[in-house]
Amino acid sequence: MLKTRISFFREQRNPIILLLITLALPFIIGIFEGSSPLMVWANQGSISKFIEGLGIEIFILALYALSFDLIFGVTGLLSFGHAMFFAVGAYLTGIALKTLGLPLYAVIGLVFVAAIVQAVLFGLVLPRVKGITFALVTLGMASVFHIVVMSSDVANYTGGDVGLQGVVVPAFINPAIERLRFYFIALIILFLAYWLYKVFVSSPTGRVCVAIRENEDRAKMLGYNTFKFKLAALMLASITAAFAGTLHALYQPVISPTIADLGFTVTALLIVLIGGVGTLSGAVIGALVYRLLDFVLRRYIGASASLVTGAIYVAFVLFIPYGIMGTWQLKKWAWKEGIQRLLRLFQVKPEEGEPKPQQSK
Amino acid sequence: MMDNEVIIETIDLSRHFGALVAVDSVNIKVHRNTLHAIIGPNGAGKTTLFNLLSGNLSPTNGKVIFKGKDITNKPVYKFIHHGIGRSFQITNIFPNLTVFENIRLASQAMEKGNFKFWMNASRLPRCEQRTWEVIERVGLKERAHLIASTLPHGDQRKLELGMILAPDPEVLLLDEPTAGMAAEQVPELIQLIKEIQQAGNKTVMLVEHNMNVVMSISNVITVMHLGKVLAEGTPSAIAANKEVQTAYLGGLYELDV
Repeated sequence: MLKTRISFFREQRNPIILLLITLALPFIIGIFEGSSPLMVWANQGSISKFIEGLGIEIFILALYALSFDLIFGVTGLLSFGHAMFFAVGAYLTGIALKTLGLPLYAVIGLVFVAAIVQAVLFGLVLPRVKGITFALVTLGMASVFHIVVMSSDVANYTGGDVGLQGVVVPAFINPAIERLRFYFIALIILFLAYWLYKVFVSSPTGRVCVAIRENEDRAKMLGYNTFKFKLAALMLASITAAFAGTLHALYQPVISPTIADLGFTVTALLIVLIGGVGTLSGAVIGALVYRLLDFVLRRYIGASASLVTGAIYVAFVLFIPYGIMGTWQLKKWAWKEGIQRLLRLFQVKPEEGEPKPQQSK
Repeated sequence: MMDNEVIIETIDLSRHFGALVAVDSVNIKVHRNTLHAIIGPNGAGKTTLFNLLSGNLSPTNGKVIFKGKDITNKPVYKFIHHGIGRSFQITNIFPNLTVFENIRLASQAMEKGNFKFWMNASRLPRCEQRTWEVIERVGLKERAHLIASTLPHGDQRKLELGMILAPDPEVLLLDEPTAGMAAEQVPELIQLIKEIQQAGNKTVMLVEHNMNVVMSISNVITVMHLGKVLAEGTPSAIAANKEVQTAYLGGLYELDV
């Protein structure tokens, strides 16, 4: 038991290092802009506060893309209704806080229940449709939700096409005041979700999900009731996406209805394609690249940025079809070997003797 | 051998595809611990019959009785839990997973704890051990960590066989296990099938085109033609049957005595 836990830490060394760096990032930025860690702690450094904001957006996107990767990349279900998972969490949080005036823990419970209900709703069509038909049916369900949210009949609650404004965020987590705290909370939620997903994928349940992606008919023949496994993946993804939506509702001053439309599902698809389908870590890296690219291009090119972004994504899909992490996992050994060979060429003694090709262990 | 109890029985089993009657009122009895071969020309309905027996297709008419229980129209994933395993003529594996993972998944299906999503799959009791046993049995130990799609065809056939051995079913439906294999690999695989059938007290149903193989290892042969059962009997009786000679063997096969 202890041994497996330790080996898990060793396997997840890079994510843990990344977590520590990201935790320290606001303070490091603070030092560069000339504000002491204490000032950053008190949310007084302006650049570090800005970076924290960008970071929070990236964490929320990453959480959302991660959940999409679980059902698309791991289980092989192409859902075009994933934005609904996120939007239900966001709107429910907004309405519960603003109109119903519920305390935050009650909101979290409500979102949890709603997430399970919507996963079951998607699950209802699962045994009947497959592949592209599933994509279209889920698109239909999400579109209905989008139309309902936009309609003037419920505008008192959802804000219609203007968006939901004036959500009263509890003071201890209010991103305008306690931004650093929000940053830490979002980051830790993302890390825990990533960890949970990693555990899930290497668990018996997750292995069957991968088998379903590879060859669902064969998985059935082997004796798995594949419906249950797909439903399990949908539930986990729905809960994660809904809580990403909750964070979104708490962080953004306005909950815009664009988070419920097809474009936002495509955002998740794009992030996963950039990072590497089915790699999980790719969803996080992809969200980082996506958000930063968007930010930098908008800042330096302005209005025509989306044209350039589009071209970059096309190039990405054409030339790096496995995404950043997917390509890394494929080429890692070749690159490591290449570096060793270079070192030998320059008569530098390699640290660990001869380079080892991928062992057939 | 014929005295053993009947393990699989079909009653007027039929399957239509539009106007085509692929399997037409087939009544066969398969006895426990026998090696029962199904032969027949292409399009005789052998694979369709297998699809009906393994739950991949549901019949238009008729019933499948397994150990006295009606299992017609049960969902396909229940069949292996009843004790019927099936391999495919066209290799049907998880192409992007390793050989080990392919077989591990096949044995995991029989374990409790498929929904322990918090636990590493390698910690399932017996599953890992069973997987290595099977890999060794089918002779893929050196290749256990290769991606299945990179294996040569003959090894993929062995993997296919391994995936049906791992859950340890009572009845094995083998659809042309030697299809596309190099001629020198065939005897080895046939020997393996024979061993498994005898050592494990298994019932094997086999579709096979290689007449020498069929004649040498089976206890009972059923000849199918145009969806119907043309003849049934011991290998020597089948080889001597005039009707079978004209329909299938074409007078070319002579029994080596």
